Amino acid sequence: MKYPYYPGCTLYSKARNLDRCGRLAAARAGFELEELPSWNCCGAIYNTNTDDLAAQVGPVRVLAKASQQGRRLVTLCAACYNVLKRANERLHATGFEQDRQRILEFVDEPFEQDVEVVHYLEVLKELGWDAIRQRVVRSLNGLKVASYYGCLMVRPREVLKFDDPENPVVMDELMATLGGEPVRFDFKAECCGGYLVINRRAVADACSLRVVENARTWGAEAIVTTCPLCQYNLESAQLRRGTVLTPVFYFTQILGLALGLEPAELGFEDNKLDPVPFLKEKGLL
Amino acid sequence: MSSQDNSQLVSQIEELSGQRVSDCYQCGCCTAGCPVGELMDPPPSRAIRLLQLGRAQELLASEGIWVCASCLVCGTRCPRNVDYAKIAEACRALILRAKRSQVDPDVVDDQDLQDVPQQAFIASFRKFSV
Repeated sequence: MKYPYYPGCTLYSKARNLDRCGRLAAARAGFELEELPSWNCCGAIYNTNTDDLAAQVGPVRVLAKASQQGRRLVTLCAACYNVLKRANERLHATGFEQDRQRILEFVDEPFEQDVEVVHYLEVLKELGWDAIRQRVVRSLNGLKVASYYGCLMVRPREVLKFDDPENPVVMDELMATLGGEPVRFDFKAECCGGYLVINRRAVADACSLRVVENARTWGAEAIVTTCPLCQYNLESAQLRRGTVLTPVFYFTQILGLALGLEPAELGFEDNKLDPVPFLKEKGLL
Repeated sequence: MSSQDNSQLVSQIEELSGQRVSDCYQCGCCTAGCPVGELMDPPPSRAIRLLQLGRAQELLASEGIWVCASCLVCGTRCPRNVDYAKIAEACRALILRAKRSQVDPDVVDDQDLQDVPQQAFIASFRKFSV
């Protein structure tokens, strides 16, 4: 199965490992990601002001491009998933017809068909956990993993309809499939502080450390996420504090590890908090 | 600022955000769930109360609207379907559209440029600068 794929700006630079492991693990899991031939930034945040049509142009152009490739568009970055899905919903909203026309005229790319924005995790779930379990070559061996979803994967719930917004479980199910032990904790969908890390770092650090501490309290040895900013914030807040460190992985790195990717393919050198000693200690490398 | 100007501001905020402040019955669920509620002055429920009382200018002058990271917990848990994140976004827009940026892309720390994901820069500049 081949899916049109939108990597987004961060996956081409600071989160290369999220992207590369995602593509390689997909091949092992039995599907293929086909990058859109020409794409632009989604805008990274969704603007909710009712009159701000300019902010819709970027994501709508991506959706139009995707419609020329297929019916579904797969994303990996939580922010891209959030922005594209919300822009798509607004484009089809009742009462938005006139604005829709103005945006489409400006975008000047034909829509070949309606597009559905899906996340990589949803593709995996559709393939079925049993099918993925059969392809595991290196079990996580009971590793206690906290799946951290953050805000962007689950809210707003009425638009994303991704999972239970208060207790999402898709990533937990994946970790269990790979042989890990999902850790139940309180702040699965709590904010990491997001982009406040740029101009209000103390606020962002407080948010991130609260998530990490709670996961540790419930016994987590490692944390997985699908958002580049969550990954960065959770790690860098710990590094700034300088005490006990819990490694934070992209779920595609752990998926790739379990499906037998080579260590050199897993992109651990791009993790700020070097996870290699931890994985060796756990017998996973 | 006269009360007439203030009530005009409240209408503008309601229109931009698509929210009706009179829908809120001040249960405080939003503030209780807000991850930065204790660092946000005023927190969501009190910010909405200011608008209900027609004190829009006070809210626009506050720090609180700039501490919100739009995580959307408040609106998700609101029993009255009021989305404070949209209200805060509208308040920020009114200030930003008067050309008053809160972050300056020209003074980003070099180390941050190397470390922080692009996603954060784009989001921050789009949220907090003109």
